[in-house]
Amino acid sequence: MNPNKTRKIPSFFHLVGAVWYRHYRVYQNHFFTNSFPTVIEPLILMLSFGWGLAMAVGSMDGVDYLSFIAPGQAMMAAVYTSAFEESYGTYFRMMVDHNYDAMLSTPINVTEVFWGELLYTGTKGAFFSLVVVLVLSCFGIIHSFWGLLVPVVGFFTAIAFGSLGLFAARLVKNINQFNFFITGVVSPLILFSGTFFSIDKMPPYAAVIAKVLPLYFFIDVSRMLTTGRFNSDLYIALPYILIVPMVMGHFAVKAMYKKMIQ
Amino acid sequence: MSNDHLIEARQIVKNYDDFRAVDGVDFAVKPGECFGFLGPNGAGKSTLMKMIYCFSPRGGGELSIFGLDPDKSPAEIKNRMGVVAQTDNLDEDVTVTQNLQIYGGFFGIERTELNAKIKELLAFMALEAKADSGIRELSGGMKRRLVIARALLNEPDLIILDEPTTGLDPQVRHLIWAKLRELKAQGVTILLTTHYMEEAHELCDRLLVLDKGKVLAMGKPEELVKNSLPAYVLELPASQKDQITLSGSLQIELHGDKLFLFAAAPSELEKVAVQFKGQFRIRTTGLEDLFLKLTGRDLHESE
Ligand SMILES: Nc1ncnc2c1ncn2[C@@H]1O[C@H](COP(=O)(O)OP(=O)(O)O)[C@@H](O)[C@H]1O
Ligand SMILES: [Mg+2]
Repeated sequence: MNPNKTRKIPSFFHLVGAVWYRHYRVYQNHFFTNSFPTVIEPLILMLSFGWGLAMAVGSMDGVDYLSFIAPGQAMMAAVYTSAFEESYGTYFRMMVDHNYDAMLSTPINVTEVFWGELLYTGTKGAFFSLVVVLVLSCFGIIHSFWGLLVPVVGFFTAIAFGSLGLFAARLVKNINQFNFFITGVVSPLILFSGTFFSIDKMPPYAAVIAKVLPLYFFIDVSRMLTTGRFNSDLYIALPYILIVPMVMGHFAVKAMYKKMIQ
Repeated sequence: MSNDHLIEARQIVKNYDDFRAVDGVDFAVKPGECFGFLGPNGAGKSTLMKMIYCFSPRGGGELSIFGLDPDKSPAEIKNRMGVVAQTDNLDEDVTVTQNLQIYGGFFGIERTELNAKIKELLAFMALEAKADSGIRELSGGMKRRLVIARALLNEPDLIILDEPTTGLDPQVRHLIWAKLRELKAQGVTILLTTHYMEEAHELCDRLLVLDKGKVLAMGKPEELVKNSLPAYVLELPASQKDQITLSGSLQIELHGDKLFLFAAAPSELEKVAVQFKGQFRIRTTGLEDLFLKLTGRDLHESE
């Protein structure tokens, strides 16, 4: 060893990348196996809805019902993977495996740890939503090549829901309380964000609330991409899906700072 | 703060809510020194270390490492430091080599340099044969050695080890001691905590005895013993207390079911020992006796 050698401190982006890489290497065995349920779930849903509900509903917002719900399936994959990864996953890394203790004894600080995680969860969200889009395209319900951009939306969706997961990890006293997060926060967001029915069907005040909450615009944009039918919503939705996840991430990382530093 | 100390702590304090885990600790570590924290469980050793390796902010007092403040320059400090935490925290799902590659990335070590370094450190810690093994295949001693190897990736000036050998068998313990001595010979400053008197004696230039967050004593191991206890001790079962005739100059301590008689010369203790027909041996006092005296409890009992 050479005690006099001085090593430069890596930049913020290098450290965030190193955390991303750590997660990728450590979890890559599960990366592909975990995507399996993600593929199967929309398939089952398509079969069930295709036989039942779709017949009864006919069309929604001018497209057939299966085409209407397709983009929501892609977003749901991103939502679930990120919400679980950053709630349960973070809890295990913190309390059981002590991975953060290892990372934090290097030049990495709390900010880099959790931005690295969010970036990783975003990557997973992108990958999973891509898989869903590819699967659904076999059913002929992805109508436009713009659909290939859905993973980009999935990336930001996952950062938003990963941030919610981090807030949950910050707040829970024990692991059972994550149930409240999944059933009390994630599931309602999925149900009331235009995933299975147009929010125009809701009372106007409820529709406004649904638009503000972090899922509606992600699905809205995804739907424009998969149907190829763009509308003026895009001018609000696009900035929303780019900015809101970053703001959420910022506050989630701050919240984790308070949890980690004792 | 002065530049001739690598670590300098003045009146540092740590509170967890209402509980004071570290209560006004002063010490300084010189470059190249091996400095040990000795104390029973719950003494505050790990808490003190976490403040030094910038994991936990201090609650008060002044602290400088490499002349830097951990509150202001954590990355700079951690960049020059190696940490072996009390609990192993390896990435269980990847191999030994991959663990080191990932961790090396946290220091921004360039790939070819890193791979050479990994080879060197696996050899240093006698783990070459395990380079491609999974972490779950490793014994406790191998995991510990890997964590130490990992802490050396960035060629640290200071290495901090929290109970590096607790729970390991004597062979591994001796191997780790030998490696730490090698590091020390290379000029690396070492800060460690331990439960083992033998370890403290073997490795540490100076010790700080800690209990309930407070410093009880500090200094070179032999001097600490010499300054606070007479040179010889006779250990008897406490049940024999009433059967012995004591001369005035003996110093007596009762710990658990044992009675300790201390004296400056063995001749004074021999008078007592002959009463038991040489059943109990007179020995020189050591760190363990000092520890008992200072903390009023047995280290191993408190575990
Ligand atoms: N995060 C924490 N929150 C509350 N109390 C803590 C925390 N960490 C340690 N303590 C308490 O502080 C005291 C010192 O702990 P520690 O430094 O781990 O002791 P040691 O390493 O000497 O065994 C103990 O009483 C322990 O219960
Ligand atoms: Mg400890």
